[in-house]
Amino acid sequence: MAEKESPLHHFELHPIVDIHLGGLDLSINKAVIAMWIGMAVVYGLFMLVGKKGTSMIPGKLQSMLEMSLEFIKGMVKEFIGDEGMKYFNFVGTLFFFILCCNLIGLIPGSYTITSQLVVTGTFAVIIFVMTLIIGISKHGGHFFSILVPPGVPKIMIPVMVPIEIISMLARPISLSVRLFANMTAGHTVLAVLFGLGLSAPMWIGWLPLGFTVIINGLEIAIAVIQAYIFTTLTCVYIGDVIKLH
Amino acid sequence: MPQFEQVSVFSSLIFWSVISFVALLFLLKKFAFPPILEILDAREKKIRDDIEGAEKINQDAEKLKADFDRQLKTAHEKANDIIQLAHDSSKKETEKSLQDTQGKVRQMIKEAEHEIQASRNKLLSEIRSYTAALTIASTERILKKAMDEKEQKRVVDETIEEVIQELEKRA
Repeated sequence: MAEKESPLHHFELHPIVDIHLGGLDLSINKAVIAMWIGMAVVYGLFMLVGKKGTSMIPGKLQSMLEMSLEFIKGMVKEFIGDEGMKYFNFVGTLFFFILCCNLIGLIPGSYTITSQLVVTGTFAVIIFVMTLIIGISKHGGHFFSILVPPGVPKIMIPVMVPIEIISMLARPISLSVRLFANMTAGHTVLAVLFGLGLSAPMWIGWLPLGFTVIINGLEIAIAVIQAYIFTTLTCVYIGDVIKLH
Repeated sequence: MPQFEQVSVFSSLIFWSVISFVALLFLLKKFAFPPILEILDAREKKIRDDIEGAEKINQDAEKLKADFDRQLKTAHEKANDIIQLAHDSSKKETEKSLQDTQGKVRQMIKEAEHEIQASRNKLLSEIRSYTAALTIASTERILKKAMDEKEQKRVVDETIEEVIQELEKRA
């Protein structure tokens, strides 16, 4: 009973379709289904515009999608540079993926897969490894000069290199924890307020329930902002390894 | 915290999220982004072309305006020349006609003066003849009245005498 009342209870996952492959548990659960629904909505919106045929004079939906792609295009060009358009599809997909996962979780009874550190961590590690690969393939051995900030006296190099390595390693950690913590905190606050609203008597219960509505609105903004931050930082990291300093 | 405690779901979450992301990347890259990006590029191109076209039209219009201004200026100059020419010619005509008229008037005055002189002379001669006749008549009457009978008789006698003498001479 105490577990059921915990505001963290709704983060628990239970398999809906059991899939076990070579000792790995690949069961489909609520988080995966919510993610798929979110993805389907994003893809569906694009297809709705694509099916009708894009027009020179855009409708509301086309305008919205155009604006979002223009926004990502601007972000890519600003942080990565002219080479950035090579990564446009990746960055764009990342933005829409995180955005749809964040937003779909706000529907009561749904699940936010980005509130799982293991998911945000996986993406952060993939991005980190990707930046290393991009950097090494572009600059070769010279890439490691990224560990020595420009203008540092030679005597400081033994100190600076470990600091820079830590700072580099901190990037995927901060990237993943930021998204996970924001999503978890938001949903926990919502769950606490909702629990309060339901358990309190009517005369006072409306207050926390009213707050859930306000916090939900705030969470929509946070969902968008966090998707933006995650994507922007990805661009910054890619830009850093391309431009070095 | 279930996110750290439910280790059993980790493999499933990692697997499905990565697979789903790759699938979404493929779908968006293949079907969703291109039409929107194409229309954005097309619109950008159209706007650029339209602006360039408008600038070209503007330049042409400015060139046309300059041509028109130049032509207008030339036309103005020509018109001024024509007006000046017409003005000069009319002035010349007026002067010529004035001179002609003055000559004619002068001629007419001269002729009139001649006529007046002739009339005057004629009149004077007429007056003279009338005056002579009048004078003679008046003198005759005065003389007739002044002579008495004796004198008259003597003048008659003398006249008779003269006539007789004349007749005698003839005879």
